[in-house]
Amino acid sequence: MVAENKNEFRKRDLLYTGGLWLISLILPDPHLPYRREFIKKRDFFYLGALVLLPLILADPLIYLMALAGIYAILALGLSLFLGYAGQISLGHAAFFGIGAYTTAILTTRYAVPTVGAFWASAFVAAAFAYLIGKPILKLKGYFLALATLGFGEIFLVIVKESRGLTGGVSGIFGIPWFSVAGFAFDTYLKQYYLIWGVLIGLVLFAKNLVRSKTGRSLLAVAASEDAAASVGINVAQVKVRVFVVSAAFAGLAGSLFACVMSTANPGGFSLGLSVLIVMMVIMGGMGNLYGPIFAAIFLTWLTDVLGGYQEYSLPIFGVILILLLIFFPDGVGTRLNARLIYLISYWGRKRRRERVDI
Amino acid sequence: MTPWVHIPQLLAAGITMGAIYALVALGFVTIVRASQIINFAQGEFVMLGGVITFFLIKGAGLPYPLAALMAVMAVIIIGFLLHLLVIYPLRKASVLILIMATLGASIVLSNTSALLFGTLPKALPAFSGEHPLVIGGGIRIAPQSLWVLGATFVLFLSLYLLSNRTLLGKAMEASSTDPLGADLTGIARNLMIFFAFGVSAGMGAIAGVLVTPLFYTSYNAGTLLGLKGFIAAVLGGWGKNSGAILGGFALGIVESVSIAFIPSGYKDGVAFVILLLILYFRPKGILGSPYIDSRRW
Repeated sequence: MVAENKNEFRKRDLLYTGGLWLISLILPDPHLPYRREFIKKRDFFYLGALVLLPLILADPLIYLMALAGIYAILALGLSLFLGYAGQISLGHAAFFGIGAYTTAILTTRYAVPTVGAFWASAFVAAAFAYLIGKPILKLKGYFLALATLGFGEIFLVIVKESRGLTGGVSGIFGIPWFSVAGFAFDTYLKQYYLIWGVLIGLVLFAKNLVRSKTGRSLLAVAASEDAAASVGINVAQVKVRVFVVSAAFAGLAGSLFACVMSTANPGGFSLGLSVLIVMMVIMGGMGNLYGPIFAAIFLTWLTDVLGGYQEYSLPIFGVILILLLIFFPDGVGTRLNARLIYLISYWGRKRRRERVDI
Repeated sequence: MTPWVHIPQLLAAGITMGAIYALVALGFVTIVRASQIINFAQGEFVMLGGVITFFLIKGAGLPYPLAALMAVMAVIIIGFLLHLLVIYPLRKASVLILIMATLGASIVLSNTSALLFGTLPKALPAFSGEHPLVIGGGIRIAPQSLWVLGATFVLFLSLYLLSNRTLLGKAMEASSTDPLGADLTGIARNLMIFFAFGVSAGMGAIAGVLVTPLFYTSYNAGTLLGLKGFIAAVLGGWGKNSGAILGGFALGIVESVSIAFIPSGYKDGVAFVILLLILYFRPKGILGSPYIDSRRW
């Protein structure tokens, strides 16, 4: 028995485990919400990488990372709703749009300072989410997806038609840079730090939320609504709450988007964006906060690269999307990590087995 | 000017549009009756039916009937391929994954069509003359509308016969209503879903051939048409052929008549408002649905 085990483990395996351990440093961890530590060494690694990244990136890439940060905020919000509570939303682009238009209208028409407009965006998006969520969150599965999709389409129609308020198809121009107490974030580098700073704050918020009683009840609702109701969780209320929080995240992202782009037009808030965000959450893995952020960076980069192929970009994007769904239906990180954990634990199991035998 | 003057003409237009929605809705229902899957790429079948017919007439110089027939066959093959390449590998995946995969398929189909056949809107000649018929009160009806209505009736009838009078149709329905029972009686469920995708794609393509003479069809027209067909299916009664027909006509008429009262730009929003209302007040639709009871949805 012992001899067999020795043959089982080879030096080659050590090489694999070493490499995989290095990958595990940067890959998201599917079991994060169940661990005891709130902030781990890995978080400092991410933080350091984030702060130092602009040193090695060129200017267009910094802009891309800023954009990825905005999408990451969106994906983080949707991750709470989709990944933790298990509800489907194909209308998050509408909340993103509501945030962007709130900021655009408040800053250009009423000369509200951008910080005020920033918080107002989150508030308006959350208010809309509450009004919409109350009636439609009793639906499930396909019908919830369709209802949220319908909300997104209605939002687009209203934005395009009410020209007096939103500027119609051409949108609103000349939104000022985001500025705090006279300090304007007017370069890509400053915007990068602003957006990722906001994202870090929201990640901390989301981590706290997930570890709270509400967060635990989200997981219960995702597992089984009947079982959750039977242990005294108010399922309808929990669903509306997480929908509102996730819409508020989308509103903040929309506000930042308006300030970075300095325009807001309906083309950016279509069904395509909703699909992209849901894809980020699926790729990142359900019930995972870091995964969607990595997926946001990857997909933003991918759309940028594919943009170079002009008319071929969308068919290729669709094919990649389907392939990802077929081969990684529960998230890229989750599947890689399952292998990783198995391989790493292989060592420990082996040592334990030997000890028992001796 | 009072809007009531236009109502009869708008009603006529609404009935034509309703027939198209009904055809798209029948496509959704065919798949749902076999597998409980909602195919978001259904609208793309309609678009492809019109665009491929146009290409075969203008590009390959085929006569109209032959081109239409070949286009329908081509779209049926695309429907089979969609099942083999996307739906079959994901047969055990969750609802969310299937939604995203069919949405991805819809992106691929519409943009590939833009690549191959160009992005310009396409129009076909009408089947029998362009002169509108004038009936009582000066209402003008294009002859093509009558073709659409007739085709809707024929397809509805043949679907009824398929699902109620043939073994294949009954096996299709069994594989959705009771998967375990279907397996036990030896029905190859995946084969049934495969056939359902073919039938559904064929219906979509026929709708596309019929609608292209009336409205311009461009590569991105399919998504909205598909969504409205889905709304029609929900409105009439989810999973029922008769519900799809009723919902299609109801949606078409309401949408068309709404133009008299609200700015026409809001027309596309009307269908989605109806969707939200019906999902909130009566999710099983006007005629009721065999698949939805109050507990599950």
